[in-house]
Amino acid sequence: MITSIARKEFAEIVRDGRFKWTAAIMVLLLITAMMTGYQKYSASIRIQQAAQTGTNEQWLDQGDKNPHSAAHYGNYAFKPAGPLSYFDNGISNYTGTAVFMEAHKQNFAIGRPASDQSAIARFGDLSGATILQLLLPLFIIFLGFTAFSGERESGTLRQVMSMGVTNQQLLWGKALGIGVAVIIVVVPCVLIGALALSMAESIDHAEGVGTRLGLLSAAYLMYAGIFLFLTLAVSAWTKHARTTLMILVGFWAFTGFLAPKAASEISKFTEPTPAFGKWMADMRAHQIRGFDGVPPFVKFAQYTKELFKEYGVTSVGELPMYFVAVRLQKLEEYDYPVFDQHYSMIRDSYAAQRRVQDKVGIAAPTLPLRSISMALSGTDLIQHVKFMTDAETYRRNMVVKMNDYLSKASVHLNETYSSSNYMRADEEVFAIVPPFEFEPPELSAMIDEHRGNFVLLALWLAAAIGLALFAANRISLERS
Amino acid sequence: MLEAIQLKKTYGDYDALKGLDLKVEPGDIYCLLGANGAGKTTTINLFLNFINPTSGTAKVCGIDVTAQPLETKKLLAYIPEQVMLYGNLTALENLRYFARLGGHDYTQAEYQAFLERCGLQSGAYAQRVRQFSKGMRQKVGVAIALAKQAKALLLDEPTSGLDPKASNEFSELLIQLKGEGASILMATHDLFRAKQTGTRIGIMREGRMMQELGTEDVSHADIERIYLEHMHGDAGRYAA
Ligand SMILES: Nc1ncnc2c1ncn2[C@@H]1O[C@H](COP(=O)(O)OP(=O)(O)OP(=O)(O)O)[C@@H](O)[C@H]1O
Ligand SMILES: [Mg+2]
Repeated sequence: MITSIARKEFAEIVRDGRFKWTAAIMVLLLITAMMTGYQKYSASIRIQQAAQTGTNEQWLDQGDKNPHSAAHYGNYAFKPAGPLSYFDNGISNYTGTAVFMEAHKQNFAIGRPASDQSAIARFGDLSGATILQLLLPLFIIFLGFTAFSGERESGTLRQVMSMGVTNQQLLWGKALGIGVAVIIVVVPCVLIGALALSMAESIDHAEGVGTRLGLLSAAYLMYAGIFLFLTLAVSAWTKHARTTLMILVGFWAFTGFLAPKAASEISKFTEPTPAFGKWMADMRAHQIRGFDGVPPFVKFAQYTKELFKEYGVTSVGELPMYFVAVRLQKLEEYDYPVFDQHYSMIRDSYAAQRRVQDKVGIAAPTLPLRSISMALSGTDLIQHVKFMTDAETYRRNMVVKMNDYLSKASVHLNETYSSSNYMRADEEVFAIVPPFEFEPPELSAMIDEHRGNFVLLALWLAAAIGLALFAANRISLERS
Repeated sequence: MLEAIQLKKTYGDYDALKGLDLKVEPGDIYCLLGANGAGKTTTINLFLNFINPTSGTAKVCGIDVTAQPLETKKLLAYIPEQVMLYGNLTALENLRYFARLGGHDYTQAEYQAFLERCGLQSGAYAQRVRQFSKGMRQKVGVAIALAKQAKALLLDEPTSGLDPKASNEFSELLIQLKGEGASILMATHDLFRAKQTGTRIGIMREGRMMQELGTEDVSHADIERIYLEHMHGDAGRYAA
């Protein structure tokens, strides 16, 4: 019975001119988005690899110099695009793709495509994810809004209701018929996208690509299901197809545009991010003041005393390590907790903002989906924070290695310490700093972080189905 | 068998049906006559459970319609004044869909036989019904009713707007179904056909059954006279 209903629904939909046009537009947009996304992805992978290799070579070829100067010369970390970034570029247009790593300073990422673009160009950046998040619901609405109210208007509903079929059977049959019509349009496009991905040159960072794809599909399927059943619910509820369409398009605009904007404003209000200038000034002041209020030079004087005591010496010249290098390293280390505190303040506020935005998802299913999609595509904040943390760890390690080398190799300079009298290191020494490698966050951590969003989607789906069943069961011909 | 027992339907404070009693036995073609707004469609809608009675009971083959609407609907076939079909589906597809909704399935040849029996020209079977004339649509509606193999038929002015030939073919079909033991309730304004096709006639006015007649017992002229008398009773009431 249900399949008969589904088959009729499907036949009616695909024979409708409305379907042919909207389906053609969907396919065109999806394929274009996937293809350009894929192109951008392979280009960015190539550029990233070339840049990282280049900067690694530069580091080694920087010319003979003092190791600490080498640490100042620094190195770049380039963020490799995740394998699914071609599908959902998330916040990567805003977060930057490269970090300059140098002695004494923790830097922000640079290379943010969005800052080089006009607002129009940002809209032009239509990814597969954006299309599925915004246009897929609209497509479902267009195919399904007449399901009940259209039949009521045309009078076929009376004929149907005289046949002795239950309203639930009608609902499931219609859901299946519309669902299949949507699937035959969307799934081939997505498969083409997946095929392109499997042919991608580099999938180094493809940890759990299968799991990611599976979870992504599940999330988007749930999202489509939500709109399918909401469409049926409203169609069963309303008397006129025009009313159905108006309500549904209203909800679509709310969840797709209004709610994300509102959520972002709300989250900025409840979890404010410090203004950049003030934040920078605060951090500088904190560095000078010292993490715990004891200024670095005071701390270092104290440390010197302890060091002398430890080695039982009375002058720098007697120390078994190069004192200048020790000082450089110590001052570096006094800054660690200051950097950690101030940077994490910003990151925490961003993470808190995202969680607030996720909560708005109770009212708008696009929000949890968007979060999940970015996370699984590796283009969300967590991924970026991990990159920044890796870069900072790398930076600290690089400075430690250089200072350490200096401290051991230049002991003899303790006596004759002067600015013109320093050691020179060469490529062989610089090579003790390994090239930068980014390790993306673990998938399981990501899934844990977004458990709530999956629950929200599931709840939305359950609510939509419940609503559709309720509305279908109360269909009445009493007032028509 | 169709049976209405003290059936009442009130819309707001308007009584559309004021305690209707009615019985259509197997082999009966019961013609409901009455002016516009007399309550004929309301009666049929109550048998179909499209609307709920304010009080009283409608029964199909002894089963209460309100209590077991799905069961009774399986026993019923319904042809409205305007048969509504899916414009983008062909006549055959419409027929197949509704037959399946009614729990039946047939071979392609059988579906074609139903359409043929209803007098639809064979060239139209595989055409989408969007361009069908009212008469053609009506014929598909009859085929749907036939395919349902219903024990009882509810017909709401099924021949209004049909040409005389089609109308006549329809009457013949009804007589065949009567012979097969169906209980047929037909609302109509066509006194001539009511006399010619029907076995019994009920004249309604303002939600009440005014008089029931056997068509055997009266002449065509009698029916017209009795009908008009009841309608004049109405006019007389307003004059008074
Ligand atoms: N949904 C409704 N709400 C209010 N009143 C209604 C409704 N449906 C029918 N009525 C009223 O009930 C009365 C009976 O209507 P019904 O359709 O049964 O008449 P009918 O005998 O079929 O008339 P016709 O010959 O014009 O088809 C009419 O006065 C009508 O206005
Ligand atoms: Mg009527």
